Amino acid sequence: MELANIFVRSIFIDNMIFAYFLGMCSYLAVSKNVKTAFGLGVAVCFVLIITMPVNYLINKYLLQSGALKWISADWVNVDLSFLTLIIFIAVIAAIVQLLEMVIERFSVSLYQALGIFLPLIAVNCAILGGSLFMQEKNFPDVTHSFVYALGSGIGWMLAIVAFAAIRDRLKYSDIPKPLQGNGIAYIITGLMGIGFMAFLGI
Amino acid sequence: MDFLNRWSKKLGRKFEKGRTLYPFRALYDAIDTFLLTPATVTEGGSHIRDAVDMKRIMITVMIALFPPLLFGLWNIGYQHFLSQGIESTLFQCFWYGFLKWLPMVLVVYVVGLTIEIIFAQKRKHEVAEGFFVTGFIIPMIMPPELPLWILAIATAFSVLFAKEVFGGTGYNFLNPALVARAFVFFAYPSVISGDTVWIAEQADAVSGATALGLLMNGSVDSLPSIAEMCIGTIPGSIGETSKIAIALGACILLFTQVGSWRIMLSVIVGGLAMGSLFNVLGITPAMSIPAYEQLLMGGFLFGAVYMATDPVTATHTQSGKFIYGFLIGALAIVIRVLNKGYPEGMMLSILLMNIFAPLIDYAVIQQNIRRRKRRAARSLSTQNLKQ
Repeated sequence: MELANIFVRSIFIDNMIFAYFLGMCSYLAVSKNVKTAFGLGVAVCFVLIITMPVNYLINKYLLQSGALKWISADWVNVDLSFLTLIIFIAVIAAIVQLLEMVIERFSVSLYQALGIFLPLIAVNCAILGGSLFMQEKNFPDVTHSFVYALGSGIGWMLAIVAFAAIRDRLKYSDIPKPLQGNGIAYIITGLMGIGFMAFLGI
Repeated sequence: MDFLNRWSKKLGRKFEKGRTLYPFRALYDAIDTFLLTPATVTEGGSHIRDAVDMKRIMITVMIALFPPLLFGLWNIGYQHFLSQGIESTLFQCFWYGFLKWLPMVLVVYVVGLTIEIIFAQKRKHEVAEGFFVTGFIIPMIMPPELPLWILAIATAFSVLFAKEVFGGTGYNFLNPALVARAFVFFAYPSVISGDTVWIAEQADAVSGATALGLLMNGSVDSLPSIAEMCIGTIPGSIGETSKIAIALGACILLFTQVGSWRIMLSVIVGGLAMGSLFNVLGITPAMSIPAYEQLLMGGFLFGAVYMATDPVTATHTQSGKFIYGFLIGALAIVIRVLNKGYPEGMMLSILLMNIFAPLIDYAVIQQNIRRRKRRAARSLSTQNLKQ
């Protein structure tokens, strides 16, 4: 029940885009058509569910204050949490590199479609943000962090795919000149945020 | 009639380009085409001949809105006199409700149409008829005691940001009436729910909460009876209370084929399915309310008949309509039962599915393309075999 709660919350209520405005750059740039948006969504999801549990374990057994006591009792007072940011970034960058190689091997068309944005997932704020939120939330074990990562990833993917489909439909609409492009994109995002508020409070 | 026609044409010349009244061209155009058949014909290669244009469709929807409206007006008065403990006649009730409703409708139309006309004038397109229905629905889904200035702000917000920035009627992806209601809901939460908004100046003895409000507080026992909910003698916004009047409106929409039966049916099926599922689980008191009673509460049916079927914001593909409707019904019950903060799930679930409607369409179309490709490949391979 608690896991289901975390899952639903992270998809709809704590949605990376509508609640925290994280990962906006790729959200705005790669939402021109649904197929690429879906590809990027899957990639972000994938990176999230790998990096977050890894970061969770690193945080719990290496970085947290007192985390090193499993090595020896003398190290109870060692606190490496000042390294959190840099270690998280390094882990994310390494895993994105790995993912890039895998996608290039198995789907060249997706690799080409994602283009520059695939390496840029490494600096996608939703990924690092997810890890940092995870650290803040103090989950009791690694399963929780996995579920949280899955939920955040799916939430991000849903948002970008729905957004891409809406933009696709609005291709034929008569948007005032000054609003075309990013202007209307921000308005759509805001309106979508109103819709997602439906789940606030579950 | 001929006289009117000639007079209108003569007047129309004053609004042509270069004349003094040119800045008000859009206003003239709106009134002229509303009263008389426009003389303009389709340019280019379109050859569809049909007497039904957007104005006639919108007017059909407005006619279909009349049964719940008339009942709702009477009901406002009835609830008022009931809570005061005063005997009243049918006409008194109706008149009281009408006086409550009139300022709301005036405010909505004045604010909305002013914005529409300014945009139509500036952007050189016609004033579209879409707002007649939107402006008609907005007062019906708001609480009768809503302050008028909030109503004006909500209307302005929804017309501007849900419609005009996308180019006006037909281009919006969210239902403007729902955006107006959601705007009030999130911007002024204390105004739109609670015990006091649904009945004016109520006496202490009578509880004025809606059925869903009661549900939220956990007082399941004091819910109104099924008969009351069907006929509609319960507190609530103007449009939503009488299920019989809504059914009448639904008949008009279905008979004229203006509303989609696919959406109406699948919303109800979705609501029933989710309600039954919760019945089986039955953990909280809200879950154990029979599924059919869930359908009768709040704005569920009103939303299913008048708002989910909006042809612009719903899915455009036929099989997509089933998915869209089912998810609306199911989500409405989920939000209603699980979410303590929002007793009215229908509005939010339609809004949420409006967001996903283009995505459902996309999925359905892609599925179609894949199926046809497979079929083409199959027939090609059998041809090759024959040769």
